[in-house]
Amino acid sequence: MQRGYSSRSDTHPPSSSTHPDLTFSTDYQDTEDLGLPLHHNPPSHHHHQQHFNQPLLNSSHMDINPVGGNPASRRRGKLGAGADPAEEIDNRGSGGGIEMRQFGVDGGRQGGSNQLERDRPGKERRVRPAFKPPAKNWKEFIENNSEHLIPLGYLILSMITRYWKIGKSNSVVWDEAHFGKFGSHYLRGEFYFDVHPPLGKMLVGLAGLFSGYDGSFDFKSGEVYPPTLHYTIWRMYMATYGVLMVPVGWYTARGLGWSRFACHLVTLMVLLDVGWLTISRFILLDSMLLLFTFTTVLGLVNFHNQQQDSFSDDWWLWLVFTGLSIGCVISVKWVGLFVTALVGLYTIEDLWDKFGDLSMPFRTYVRHWIARIVGFIIIPVSVYLLSFKLHFLILRNTGPGDSQMSSLFQANLNGNDFIQNPLEAAFGSKVTLKNVGYGGGLLHSHIQTYPVGSFQQQVTCYHYKDDNNQWVITPTWEADPIGSEDDIKFLQDGDIVRLVHAATGRNLHSHPVVAPVTKTNNEVSCYGNATIGDANDYWVIEVVDDTVRGKKDEVKKRIHSLTTRMRIRHLNSGCYIRAANGVLPQWGFKQIEVSCDKDNNPKDPHTYWNIESHWNERLPKGDAKLYKSPFFSDFWHLNVAMMTSNNALVPDPDKEDILASNPFDWPWLYLGLRMCGWSAEQSKYYLIGNPVVWWSGSFSLVLSVVVVGLYLFRGQRKYNDFGIGEWDRFIFGIKLSFGGWALHFLPFLIMGRVTYLHHYLPPLWFSVLMVGHLTDHFIFSNRRLTLRAKAIFFGLFAGAVILVFWWFKGVSFGIDGLVEDHWGLKWRKSWNIYN
Amino acid sequence: MSQAPRRRAVNPKEDCEQIPLYPVSSRSQNTSLPQTNVDYSRSSYDALALKKDSEEARKPYWKKKETLWSWTTGGLLVALAAIVRFWGIGFPDGVVFDEVHFGKFASYYILREYYFDVHPPLSKMLLGLAGYLSGFDGLFDFENIGDKYVDPAAGLNVPFKGMRSMPAVFGSLTVGVVYWIMRESGYPVAISAFSAGLILFDNLHVVETRLILLDGALILFMSLSLLSYIKFHQLRYRPFSTAWWAWLSSTGFFLACTLGCKMVGLLTFCTIGTAVVWDLWGLLDIKRSHPLTMEHFSKHFLARTICLIVVPFGVYLSFFWLHFKILNRTGTGDTFMSAAFQETLMGNELLMNSQELRYLDTITIRHKETNMFLHSHVDRYPLRYDDGRISSQGQQVTGYPFNDTNNNWQIIPTHDIPDSGRGRICRHKDIIQLYHPMTDSYLLTHDVASPLTTTNQEFTTWPKADINSRYNDTLFEVVLVEGFEGEPWKTKSGWFQLVHVPTSVKMWTGLGTLPDWGYKQQEINGNKAHQERSSTWFADEIISDESLVANRTGEKEVKKVVPMNFFKKFFELQVLMLQHNAGLTADHPYASQPIDWPFDLSGISFWTDNVDNQQVYAIGNLLGWWICVLGLSVFVGIVGADALARRRGIQPIEDHLRNRLYNNTGFFLVSWMFHYFPFYMMSRQLFIHHYLPAHLSSALVAGSILNFILTETINYPVSVAGTTTRLRPRLRAVITKRAAVVLGILSLAVVGMFGFLSPFTYGSTGLTPTQSGYEQKTSFNLDPSL
Repeated sequence: MQRGYSSRSDTHPPSSSTHPDLTFSTDYQDTEDLGLPLHHNPPSHHHHQQHFNQPLLNSSHMDINPVGGNPASRRRGKLGAGADPAEEIDNRGSGGGIEMRQFGVDGGRQGGSNQLERDRPGKERRVRPAFKPPAKNWKEFIENNSEHLIPLGYLILSMITRYWKIGKSNSVVWDEAHFGKFGSHYLRGEFYFDVHPPLGKMLVGLAGLFSGYDGSFDFKSGEVYPPTLHYTIWRMYMATYGVLMVPVGWYTARGLGWSRFACHLVTLMVLLDVGWLTISRFILLDSMLLLFTFTTVLGLVNFHNQQQDSFSDDWWLWLVFTGLSIGCVISVKWVGLFVTALVGLYTIEDLWDKFGDLSMPFRTYVRHWIARIVGFIIIPVSVYLLSFKLHFLILRNTGPGDSQMSSLFQANLNGNDFIQNPLEAAFGSKVTLKNVGYGGGLLHSHIQTYPVGSFQQQVTCYHYKDDNNQWVITPTWEADPIGSEDDIKFLQDGDIVRLVHAATGRNLHSHPVVAPVTKTNNEVSCYGNATIGDANDYWVIEVVDDTVRGKKDEVKKRIHSLTTRMRIRHLNSGCYIRAANGVLPQWGFKQIEVSCDKDNNPKDPHTYWNIESHWNERLPKGDAKLYKSPFFSDFWHLNVAMMTSNNALVPDPDKEDILASNPFDWPWLYLGLRMCGWSAEQSKYYLIGNPVVWWSGSFSLVLSVVVVGLYLFRGQRKYNDFGIGEWDRFIFGIKLSFGGWALHFLPFLIMGRVTYLHHYLPPLWFSVLMVGHLTDHFIFSNRRLTLRAKAIFFGLFAGAVILVFWWFKGVSFGIDGLVEDHWGLKWRKSWNIYN
Repeated sequence: MSQAPRRRAVNPKEDCEQIPLYPVSSRSQNTSLPQTNVDYSRSSYDALALKKDSEEARKPYWKKKETLWSWTTGGLLVALAAIVRFWGIGFPDGVVFDEVHFGKFASYYILREYYFDVHPPLSKMLLGLAGYLSGFDGLFDFENIGDKYVDPAAGLNVPFKGMRSMPAVFGSLTVGVVYWIMRESGYPVAISAFSAGLILFDNLHVVETRLILLDGALILFMSLSLLSYIKFHQLRYRPFSTAWWAWLSSTGFFLACTLGCKMVGLLTFCTIGTAVVWDLWGLLDIKRSHPLTMEHFSKHFLARTICLIVVPFGVYLSFFWLHFKILNRTGTGDTFMSAAFQETLMGNELLMNSQELRYLDTITIRHKETNMFLHSHVDRYPLRYDDGRISSQGQQVTGYPFNDTNNNWQIIPTHDIPDSGRGRICRHKDIIQLYHPMTDSYLLTHDVASPLTTTNQEFTTWPKADINSRYNDTLFEVVLVEGFEGEPWKTKSGWFQLVHVPTSVKMWTGLGTLPDWGYKQQEINGNKAHQERSSTWFADEIISDESLVANRTGEKEVKKVVPMNFFKKFFELQVLMLQHNAGLTADHPYASQPIDWPFDLSGISFWTDNVDNQQVYAIGNLLGWWICVLGLSVFVGIVGADALARRRGIQPIEDHLRNRLYNNTGFFLVSWMFHYFPFYMMSRQLFIHHYLPAHLSSALVAGSILNFILTETINYPVSVAGTTTRLRPRLRAVITKRAAVVLGILSLAVVGMFGFLSPFTYGSTGLTPTQSGYEQKTSFNLDPSL
């Protein structure tokens, strides 16, 4: 049997075609069964096979044979009911057979030592590779190390494609305008706000630092880089993440136990997809997101391979590796939650299986739980928290993102002048009011009016500093106005005030009109002017507490800026002014809705406000000490703000965004995306996939549904298509690929936000895995096909990938001159590659 | 197959509820059946009870005590439901809530005028029938909520009570159907009556079924679909018997009726479909005790395909066929439809007025959606807009709603045309210029951003004197919607898009209004989007032809109605319905979110009377709905606990109970899920009455869970035994005293809550002193104007 790699990949042990159900259902014989029934296949036969077929375990990610226990049969228990010892033995035998096929390089020398181990059921000990003699010649060396030499080769190819002419466009391309700018903020230490978590942008900043950049460039879209900015080196740092995707792809494919043909095919597809290639060559977050998605899948696959060897060193290694990858991927973009969900679902299924294993001691089961909680929850959360901790540590200066954070946090930033606010607010003070709820903004009004309800001037909550946020604390209409010579009247708990909008002179107003979004609340508007007004302009200040002075009783009534938290009650209606992250439609510029809540809910922080900026010339400047803002509060605050802004990124129906696309446009490459200007003078980059890769990926996803349906159907009629253990392996690959794809794709269908083509780049990996899985299943591991047929299929497929890549390489490497001069690039009518 | 009739001959009174303890026909019995496997130990009956029970079983069906008791209860429930629904049906005597729409649609059927609506026609046709039967002449326009039906002064006497009776009858029958479903599922009379009571005494069901609304028919047909499927499933051991066929096809028929009322019927299809797939998957299993051959399986498959897909489709089509047959006159719905469709309607304007357009005709052009005229006047775009952008300062082209000579445009040929004859007709895909006689200029668009929509191109005109410099920019292609080569361009019916030749943008207008410099007229611009339905225009009128003398409108002859293929009509309407349904996104003060529904958090104010402080407020029975939610969550909890326990090899629930719990209550739960969760994905405006079908399913779940908790027994088996069925001991559910007390208290509480909320349901009690109390106690968003 052992005639070399290729023949082994064609050969199955005879036992592998026997269906487990045969062991307990003797009244039915499958006429199509190719192999021998189980009872013709004594256990000794398997041991004999293993003796020869035992793979050399020379790679850390290799599948370990089931040793002891009965997990394999347990898993299979879902397919056929019940299990008996004979099956277990059989299962192990065939499992060995599969691996022989997968890792067949100079196998056959190790079986003896391992057999002792496997004859001791219940003993969980890892099978260790035995000593391997040093290679005698080059050929042997290559053979021994091909597991790593091949990916090394791919690494070099990947470096060539990713780094090739990477600095050709000397201007800011596409979202470099965002992420370059965010990188600069880290170098300057200025606080900014963005919808993505900070890790990716910190790495961008780090790469900028390494490339010798000082943070001074302002990254306007399309602008030419100054000579002092070594954008080529910077881009190379970023492209390195893309370079690493390729070998990670190879190891993932190997971990899934495919034949080498399939592994090569999948790795080539990763290498030569122009979409992945293009997105990796600029200063963007996507290369990191993709790499960490890839490593998460790699970790999951290898962790799965260690299933039979729980709590071994490798098992722990891959558990922690997966956890760290998850931490990184969610710290780059929240899209990483999708791959996290994949790991989560896998873990739930796994723990459910183990729950049904009545032979597993309870303590072991608890250990499984604890290990996963540590690996898949505590480690990723720590990474995520750490990235925010670093984020806050680096960004110590005031910057454009300040107003997303609590007033207290802002006061701690260098360059912030809140500290100079007069401490105690008084009538006549001009103030800005900050909502205390997580992600709260500043009370704002502008000249535009509501198109619904009262049609009066809008009042919103706004996250940026602006003169329209300023309000003047004014006495009621009946009270005496406070002149500049009168005694200062400090604002106290229970005071009735009028809040006058400084920029328009109108009064903050509320009335029993339904609010525009939150229909149960009253509308808050701005009405009247210095002379026109009514009692609906009256608001009662109710102190909640003070972050420094403590509870309400200890505040002694006066209201301090920054630290006193108060609620603002409408005198007539008794409702409380509230801003709870409800986003107004386009007419309100997607700002946050402010309404008046009739339910008195004293615990609701969205009805809490504090004075942020405070101007009053008659009062002395404050000299309050710095109050530390607790990290977890800042962290949570920032995350809620990110979530709110992310939800506000909804497509604007009035404007047509030529860059945006619909999720259904992605799988069949309906649209491409111009990444820069399209003039003849500049290098043009077009985000589009390699059609062979994308189309075959989508096709294989469709095919997988049909195939699984068919196999289930045949299974229900008891046709045996699988050897023992093969079904588990087959369905694991399907679940991984299809589940991963669906988890990354379907959420975009329900998401309200704008979606772009590059959102399909992570799910593309799962569709490519499906190509590998199905080609391996039907072609490369098909024992009915000859090696020659497989080679021809591989040649055609890989050839198509390579040729199409070559045809489209311009879209990644930059198209020069008139794009019309490059013939034949428009493969679908909808592509806007030509003018 | 052939055994079924023979068996019936032996015991003709046999019913699905009466499973004999002994082989019915020993001759046809498979002798190898493992009779000894019958396990009596789990039965809660002693030998005596068993004997009595079997004596009872031998009685004819209609003489059995339980049968009589069961039928009496069912009849009482329906009668009670009718009383509750018909009580004070004449109040309010004005239009309530959506009667505005559905009353109007009913009157269209009587007048035979074509209308357009997003819902399929069955329920509205039934309302129309009700109107017809009660002598409504259709001459009431249901304009506003609160309009009085009866006004002796104006001679107005709409028989609205008769029209409201139809939904009320449907609503009363629904209660009976729910009771029947529960009985057929093997629950005792008391439990079944409780489930039915949850519907009977539900304020929202009552409100919705005593007004001229669609939901009464929808819910009745939906519950009948569930019932038919359950009856069909009971016969699964006697496949292809007459009864089996009858119930299968009745399932399909009622499914089609459900869908014919509202598109939510698709969700009922999904429910039944899931059950059918589940069932078929079991039939396919070769490990069954008597596995089916593939041929046999194909027969099963085919029977279901025909009865549940083909037949319903045919029935559904027939509704539309009738719909089109009845509505053969022009009406409010004309403008939604294509020109070809409109030409099938008697008296349609297109039919009267549509004329071919010739070159050099002067015409007016209107936008199809907003009906604005294409207009231009001497004023120019300002050089600089507020946002700093610069315009071409060309002459303004706007959308204008009124008749004006500035709306006139002349069609100028761009190729030689003969002096006379058909060659002068302007056709599909011809390239033309549009000349504006009042300002002596040509319509033009160019690559300058339009005033309001910066992504679109500005439309302006260019003086005739200087036309040579911009000739190309004045060329437009007339592209008729679904036009064919050489099709003549017609007034009214010839919908077209005006495509600019050099830049291929389409003339388009949204709802943007120009600022004061544009006299608040509507902005017109060039839209680059390929698929934009709103860029459709039509030529309204021929002002004069090239001689500027002879007005061709005098020559026109009234054309005959042009028939159109029914299927084409059907598909056109179907697509439009779906599009418009998705487009119902406008705000409504009483729209609510699906998450609020099961908890009955907020209702809809249907009708208010400020003088007498009366209000009809659609809200469910708070207690009843919370019992349903509780039932759902307890069921999920039980199933979850059972799954965990069985995973560890413990069987906490007896087999027959678990079977019922999974297969029957599970079916109800699936029905609830299908009728509820899809609403989360719908972006259209949603109301609490969309929850009614789901509420009905949850009432079924609540009943069966209550049975599980209170009695831990079940009528078993409910299926009719087949020739090869292994016989099992017959079990009957027992209601203990304690269970009866609990049930009684719960029922009283539900009825009490119904009474508490009934002022909102019937709207007949003045509320002023107590209303604030209601609002506080229930936190409903009552109409604030009261």
